[in-house]
Amino acid sequence: MTGAHTHPDAAAGTGVYALAAAAAVLLAAAAYAVAAARLRRRGDAWPRRRDASFAAGAAALAWAALGPLPGEPFTAHVCRHLLTGMAAPLLLVLGRPVTLLLRVLPPARARRALTAAGRSRAAALPVLPPVAALADIGGLWLLHRTPLLAAAGERPLLHAAVHAHMLLAGLLFTFAVCRLDPVRRSGGGLGIRGGTLLAAGAAHAVLAKGLYAVPPPGLAVTPGDLRAGAVLMYYGGDAVEIGLALVLAVQWYAATGRTRRRALRRRAAAVHGAA
Amino acid sequence: MQQAGVGTNDGPDARRSLLVCALIGASVMAAADEIVFHQILGWHHFYDRSTPAVGLLSDGLLHTAELLALVAGLFLYADLRRRGAFSRPDARAGALIGLGGFQVFDGIVDHKLLRVHQIRYGVDLAPYDLAWNAAGAVLLLAGCGLALRAHRRRRAGREQHG
Repeated sequence: MTGAHTHPDAAAGTGVYALAAAAAVLLAAAAYAVAAARLRRRGDAWPRRRDASFAAGAAALAWAALGPLPGEPFTAHVCRHLLTGMAAPLLLVLGRPVTLLLRVLPPARARRALTAAGRSRAAALPVLPPVAALADIGGLWLLHRTPLLAAAGERPLLHAAVHAHMLLAGLLFTFAVCRLDPVRRSGGGLGIRGGTLLAAGAAHAVLAKGLYAVPPPGLAVTPGDLRAGAVLMYYGGDAVEIGLALVLAVQWYAATGRTRRRALRRRAAAVHGAA
Repeated sequence: MQQAGVGTNDGPDARRSLLVCALIGASVMAAADEIVFHQILGWHHFYDRSTPAVGLLSDGLLHTAELLALVAGLFLYADLRRRGAFSRPDARAGALIGLGGFQVFDGIVDHKLLRVHQIRYGVDLAPYDLAWNAAGAVLLLAGCGLALRAHRRRRAGREQHG
């Protein structure tokens, strides 16, 4: 990853921002592990798979920041996008960090304040699935269909800002679609979450296919690299979308199962009462 | 959809078995198309440069819908089994309808109307298009036939018992 100054990776790899990002990720992973250990010490159930998922998400972020990533510069950029904006957010959200934070905080003021913030009207808007999707996929389209990506290749600070947005918007989108942590419930039905996933997935696929033929404006990229990157973006997006769809499907399956068991119990009680 | 699986009225649900298996059939055929023709044979192109914008958009939507439909279909199927609502003859008919329906849709709408991509490049397309759509139509008709037979048997069974 040496040479060309216009490719999107010029600023990454060993930059000071990349190191700072990796350090922040490590810190978050350590804080999660400490909090989970504390819960278990006091006797709370906190499944190990959540720890594993959060740690894997942190590892994916660290890998995206420090590399090395496979392929030529554009393919490596796509790989970083898939890790930072899609795979890591899913893994981190599956670790239910907000639930963990709420449980580990002292019961009184801090927890009440955070719960109130989560249920407030102000918090309801960004976690509305279509709004979160617009922030995420809209940002992705801007990055690839304006000279932003080429500019980010030359300016380390812009590069860092673009990737910070990629992570935050990816987290917001995943959080809004999965709804695993306690937030305001309105506007989060299965239909709207599934529909948003469909629209966002389609927008991602259309962008990836378009990039196969037309590179981002101002970006110096070889045809082979462009095509490899576009195909990776298309199928990599599929993999994460299947993961998100599985989260929704498992939620539906569990919820209908609970409702059914309740209805059966009620019916049994009615029969028993009549007899 | 969220409430549909709730019913406690157990016993075969013919309509739902057919629809769920049609959903799975269509998404399996879509996956087979992606794997066999795009990846293994390399006949289809990832992106045919002559694809118009509307074709690209419909392709993106359809591709994502296929993924979601496969996941949703499998969980809906598991729900049918869990409730004892699965009806095998209707499920078989639904699967064939889904497989053939997708094949014909892909052959006519994607290849011809929207011109997303063609079956193969650099050859005379007519025999390929004919084989593609005829195969789909056979599956589709077989599925419809099975659905009709399942329906008639059910009605005959009801009349006997009723």
